[in-house]
Amino acid sequence: MDLGRRLDAAERVEAPAAATPEEWSPEQQIAHLLRLCDAQMESALCESDLAIDALIKVFTTVAEAVRALEPGTHTRAHAGAHTDAHSGASGPAQYQAQLDAVGRQMAGAVVAFQFYDKLSQRLGHVRHSLSSLARLVCDDAQSGQRERWQALFTQLRSAYRTEEERQIFRRIVDGASLDAAREHMQSATPARRPATGDDIELF
Amino acid sequence: MAVVSNQTILAVDDSASMRQMVCYTLQGAGYTVVQAADGVEALDFARDREVDLVLTDVNMPRMDGITLVRELRAIHSYRYTPVLVLTTESGQEVRQRGKHAGATGWIVKPFNPELLLKTIARVL
Repeated sequence: MDLGRRLDAAERVEAPAAATPEEWSPEQQIAHLLRLCDAQMESALCESDLAIDALIKVFTTVAEAVRALEPGTHTRAHAGAHTDAHSGASGPAQYQAQLDAVGRQMAGAVVAFQFYDKLSQRLGHVRHSLSSLARLVCDDAQSGQRERWQALFTQLRSAYRTEEERQIFRRIVDGASLDAAREHMQSATPARRPATGDDIELF
Repeated sequence: MAVVSNQTILAVDDSASMRQMVCYTLQGAGYTVVQAADGVEALDFARDREVDLVLTDVNMPRMDGITLVRELRAIHSYRYTPVLVLTTESGQEVRQRGKHAGATGWIVKPFNPELLLKTIARVL
């Protein structure tokens, strides 16, 4: 593509409404908006990846420091002796109870961090849906064919990995309103029910 | 859960943050952890060196977890090594594919650190 055509393309992306009448079509505008959503999501996810990496590094550093205070380590023995000298025999027990409480919080954080991974995966599926839709909408030969749309739905459905995604898909495709689907999503969101991590099956 | 162990676990996941959470949990229990970002990397490692347990995701680039399980079972020294699948996939159909490929068990993310350690201790 030469420079002139590249600039033309850039202008169309930046200002789709300014396209010539011959080039303008509702489908093109939809495709522009879908690509815009995709790009915005990708950008936000890239930033979040960096942030979560930094957060996990901090978490593991703090967690390792807490582990170093566990019984049997030099630091722990020193801290225990210090506590004994100032608060009597109940000191070590109190200290252990605090360590246990921190340990439980750390375990909770390990579960919570995993939701970011799940979020990235699900947003990846949304991006895939948007780009697939943009391609189909812009394809005059295909966009009018009912079976192409059915194939698109089938393809999107097969990309889902979690039960939540499948349930939302089923509800929306079966004709549920966005409000009804949202209500269902909120009631099924793990944040609103304890994430027990107990779906384990041994074969 | 404190475990004194010299056992090695191969953790396979394309998400760096997930690998970090798995490593943090397993190392805290005394296991040695080696990491791979996909099935190909894991298989390369497994062909060179034996580990005591493999913990793998399903959806990964280059080689998915189910294929990895199948390939591991074809290696003589990995015929009976416990292979646990750790994934967001919760459907029965894909679980059955994992079972038929030779997986030892199926754990749906997010994992609970204590239950993960108990499960690993049970199959080792």
